[in-house]
Formats: sequence, structure tokens, C-alpha cells
Amino acid sequence: MARPRSFDVDVVQGAAAAVFRRLGYEAASVDELVAATGLHRGSLYGAFGSKRGLFVAVLRKVATPPEGALVAPDDDALDLLLVAALELAPRDAEVRDLVGQACQRLDPADGSPSVALGTRLLHRAGLGPALEPPPAPTPTERST
Amino acid sequence: MARVLIDDATMTVQMRGLHQLWGFKRRIVAPLAHVRGATVDPGIVRESAGFRAPGLGLGRLATIGTFYRDDQRHFWDVTAGGHPIVIELTGERYDRLIIDVDDPRATVDAINAAASR
Repeated sequence: MARPRSFDVDVVQGAAAAVFRRLGYEAASVDELVAATGLHRGSLYGAFGSKRGLFVAVLRKVATPPEGALVAPDDDALDLLLVAALELAPRDAEVRDLVGQACQRLDPADGSPSVALGTRLLHRAGLGPALEPPPAPTPTERST
Repeated sequence: MARVLIDDATMTVQMRGLHQLWGFKRRIVAPLAHVRGATVDPGIVRESAGFRAPGLGLGRLATIGTFYRDDQRHFWDVTAGGHPIVIELTGERYDRLIIDVDDPRATVDAINAAASR
């Protein structure tokens, strides 16, 4: 029987999310996750079952926020979605579903999910402003 | 060194060769519903396995058998230079299996895919 949890799940998941955003999923070792979260290895396994379990818990928070929360995913959330879409989604149905749900929550004002994710990907790469298209002429400028 | 076999409903961890003898276990079988997940974790060999009973402990060289730690029962089958994975179980005799496998990433992916479907 596992001992009751004595840590703040939000703090642990936040620290783990930062590791996944920085290193990606496969490259994030359990050593790194243990160091970042401050949990004992055994507690990490006990609470989440596996590194995948921890990643899915973190991703679930981004994809299915609590009832009433209407905030669009921020840059950190988009980075996590990019990691999930690139590394796990192609071979993991549950992760794929969660990425799909998160995409539905992206603000239509930012364009389609592919635009939002692609824009974030280029920004993250340091290519954001240079690749933005020139502002389109407004219809009034063309009308006679 | 162990081999992990998965069928429709169960996961079987099959010990190899003399490890069956040192660990006093030939195989461990668990229903997939009791498999919480698997992780590639080379760093776990630096942690203490806990109290051994029964099994073989040769420090860093080999950890094979049943160990008790944190009020849990774990099964270890790792040797120096191996590729350890961690399988977390629930409702089984063992709470955690720490075993060397040939292809850790493919094994872990197969276990997680089967356990989460």
C-alpha cells in the first residue's frame, strides 16, 4: 500500500512540464524529472505509474482544463502540444486524442490550430518576426 | 536479463538463464489491467533496492530477486551494463518490477500501448 501523497500535484506537474518542454519527451530522463520535481523516484512512479503517465497527466491539464476556464493555451501549453504531437501522438492513441482536444480549444481568432502551432514553432526557433507576411491591404484601399 | 511478452490480456516477464535461479523466479505474470505503465530508466541502478529477501545482491554488479522498500515489494533483475526498465503494477504480488531488457524503448512502448488500450 502506497503512502498518502505529501506533495503539491500542481507544483510537481509544473516542474515536470518545464522539463518536457525543454528536452522533449524521450530525452527527458527520470533522473531529470526527479531532480526538477524534488520527488523521490519511488514517489514519482507511485503517483504517475510511468514517465508516460506523468506526461499524460501534464498534457491532460492543457487539453482539458477545469470547467469554466476559457483561457486559450499559452506559449508553454503550445510547446507541450508540439512535443506531444511530434513524439508521442503518432504511436499513442490517448496522447493523440488529447492533442486533438487541445487543438479544438485554440482560439479561432489566432487562425486554425495548424497556424497557431506552426507560428509558435517558428517563434520558438527564433524565426517568428522575420517570416511574418506583410500586412494585407484592406478592402477599402482597393475600392474605388 | 528478462523478456516481456504481451498477449490480449496479460503481460509475462520471463527471466532468462541462470537469472531464474538467482532471483527464485522463472516468470511473473500480470493482467494488463494491473499494469500501470513502463519507463526506460537507466538511472534507477544508482538507487538502493532496499532489503533483499530472497535474492542475489552484488552491489553495483547485479541486483536480482525480491526486495522490500518503502513498504513495497519489488522484483529486480538488473546487472551492470544492462538496460533497465521499470514496470509499475497494482493489485499484484509485486508493486514494481525493475528488469533489464534487450530493447528498452520498444519494450516500454509495447507495454504502455497494451496497458492504455
